[in-house]
Amino acid sequence: MKSWIEAFSIIDFISVGILLTAVILNAFKSIESYVKSYTVNSWLLAGLIAVVAVLVGETHLYIAALLTLATKGIIIPLFLRGIVRRMRVTHEIQPYLSNSLSLAISGVLVAVVYASLKEGIFITGFSKNVLQISIAVILISLFVMITRKKALTQAIGLLFMENGLFLAGFSLTFGMPTMIELGVLFDMLMGVIILGIFAIQIKRAFASADLDKLTVLKG
Amino acid sequence: MRVYVLFILIIPLITAVVCYNITKPRVVGYVSLGGTTALAVAASPAIALSLSGTVSALGDTFSMDALSGYIMALVILLSLASAAYSISYLEHEYDAGLTNVRGVRTYYGLFHLFIFTMLLVTMANNLAIMWIGIEATTIVSALLIGLGFHKRPLAVEAAWKYIILCTVGITFALLGTFIAYYASTAVIGTEGALNWTTLRDMAHRMNPETMKLAFIFVLVGYGTKAGLAPVHNWLPDAHSQAPSPISALLSGILLNTAFYGIMRFVSIVEPSTGSDFTGHLLILFGLISIAISAIFILVQENYKRLLAYSSIEHMGIISLGIGIGGPVGIYGALLHVLNHALSKPLMFFASGKIQSRFGTTNIANVNGVLSSMPLLGTLTFIGALSLSGTPPFNIFVSEFTVLKAGVDRGLWPVVVLFLIFVVIVFYGVLLGFGKMLFGRPGDGAAAQAEHHPGRGGASEWLANAVMIFMAVMVIALGFKVPTVIDETIRTCVQVLGAK
Repeated sequence: MKSWIEAFSIIDFISVGILLTAVILNAFKSIESYVKSYTVNSWLLAGLIAVVAVLVGETHLYIAALLTLATKGIIIPLFLRGIVRRMRVTHEIQPYLSNSLSLAISGVLVAVVYASLKEGIFITGFSKNVLQISIAVILISLFVMITRKKALTQAIGLLFMENGLFLAGFSLTFGMPTMIELGVLFDMLMGVIILGIFAIQIKRAFASADLDKLTVLKG
Repeated sequence: MRVYVLFILIIPLITAVVCYNITKPRVVGYVSLGGTTALAVAASPAIALSLSGTVSALGDTFSMDALSGYIMALVILLSLASAAYSISYLEHEYDAGLTNVRGVRTYYGLFHLFIFTMLLVTMANNLAIMWIGIEATTIVSALLIGLGFHKRPLAVEAAWKYIILCTVGITFALLGTFIAYYASTAVIGTEGALNWTTLRDMAHRMNPETMKLAFIFVLVGYGTKAGLAPVHNWLPDAHSQAPSPISALLSGILLNTAFYGIMRFVSIVEPSTGSDFTGHLLILFGLISIAISAIFILVQENYKRLLAYSSIEHMGIISLGIGIGGPVGIYGALLHVLNHALSKPLMFFASGKIQSRFGTTNIANVNGVLSSMPLLGTLTFIGALSLSGTPPFNIFVSEFTVLKAGVDRGLWPVVVLFLIFVVIVFYGVLLGFGKMLFGRPGDGAAAQAEHHPGRGGASEWLANAVMIFMAVMVIALGFKVPTVIDETIRTCVQVLGAK
């Protein structure tokens, strides 16, 4: 099993998948596809943790993989889908930049990350690509957050960012102790639920879920 | 002993549940105050012990030293003040029909959860648990700003900005924590350390380059939460839209719990990187914060936003004090934490009263507070003088200490810039509040005051007593720092490892 994983560079394949599901956000036009992409991303993340668990053979990594799958892979996507349905949004994302331009920019972001982390300043572990990919995912999701109008896309961008962060933490340290991971996931879950509640409130208060209506408070 | 420490965390949780289940809006406030008093009683032995040594519970998970004790004492003090003030604030909102029974219950439930999360931050020995606590404060306080009885569109806007910006920021802090964990695995093998006590002992052996990276992420992350410019944008919105007692907690203590995270990191990063690296970054962000807030204070038309910008300024001064470093600088910064935690909530309490009398947060529409409401006017006046840094009030003392630390280290450009900005703030704060305090009460305002005669009930009396107590403290601390506080801060300075 172990040699099989190494021979086919499974870890690299999965992390590239994680990167692609983040890049593809730039091409999608509807919120449903954002949620689907997030689901795939989370499943890949959980899969990656499981593969490393097999490689290293540590119990707490198996637990981490299961926890990731349960929260990010199942509960949060279901919740997001419910919110999308309840808000009856127009489903169109309406980015500030055109899709092709933002795809190009995220390509540049990936290149920048690879150029600046070329030496792999940290890498001790299983794959030096993982850290670079995770930083790229964080940057792309930040970019998605600032260029999309809908409240929910910001929330999903935040979730992608957290996946990237988990990947980064994972490539650095093989994960945190299980108790800590539980706490972080719990915080995240609560955060998503509250973002969902506020998204509905924004929809009610402004009769729109567009964030460019939120410009009253300034100065 | 250990039981006591866990009681500190359990009591607010119980109080939250109890408050949420009481259906009488007039009763729930007093229950909440009782719960907070019980918390203060339960916590005082632990705080007293922590000042002279380390108190730990559940193995190494929770550990309190003097710095935790100091911040925790402030959290509890302000929770008491805010719980007492909340009673009259919510009664007023309830009578005015701005909230319902459900809103009141939710408010008090969340209020105690909020206290719980802040206490968790101060007690955590583990840096990741501290992170969990700080993130939890964001989630709970966002609800307090945006939900419950404040179903106004602007509050939702503020809460959305707050939770998105702070969560993104704090995610970076988690990355920084991961990196610090990684640096520790390189020193002690596969099982790295996240406990602050362990990290402190091996701090000088960690890889300086890795720790630098960790510190940058942590500074950006917790700095967002602490309201350091240029990532402060959420702060004026959240503080101006939150209910006044919550604004007081946000400004007086929440910012400090986030900054407490930075202080902890400084003391584990410094031994390997040298104090110049962390110092320069903190001084830079401190000065930017003071500069930006000075400009916005000068042109501000809304007094709650003015107070919010003033918070950014004071967090900048704390950052500057820690950045300048040395025993004097850190002493000044920690004293400033206390002084700001007294003056700012006093001002938010007073501005809540002004807002409910005049029905506006616009400076131009408020006139002659001093003559139409002598007690409230005097309290506001004391608070404004203190916040602007007028001698002999408390904030002047700590600002002067930070300034002295800068002069001692010979950081002249920093000292000069600091002085210029502080003078601008002095002018801006007194200009804004001077307009409100003096002058003849306008006809509209007088009519408003007629409409809302002081009810003089128990809750009103309690709120006034809280504000008077805080004003007395503000004045007293300006003349002399009591020996207890002085010694506590000196111990904290040693905990932070200043030589």
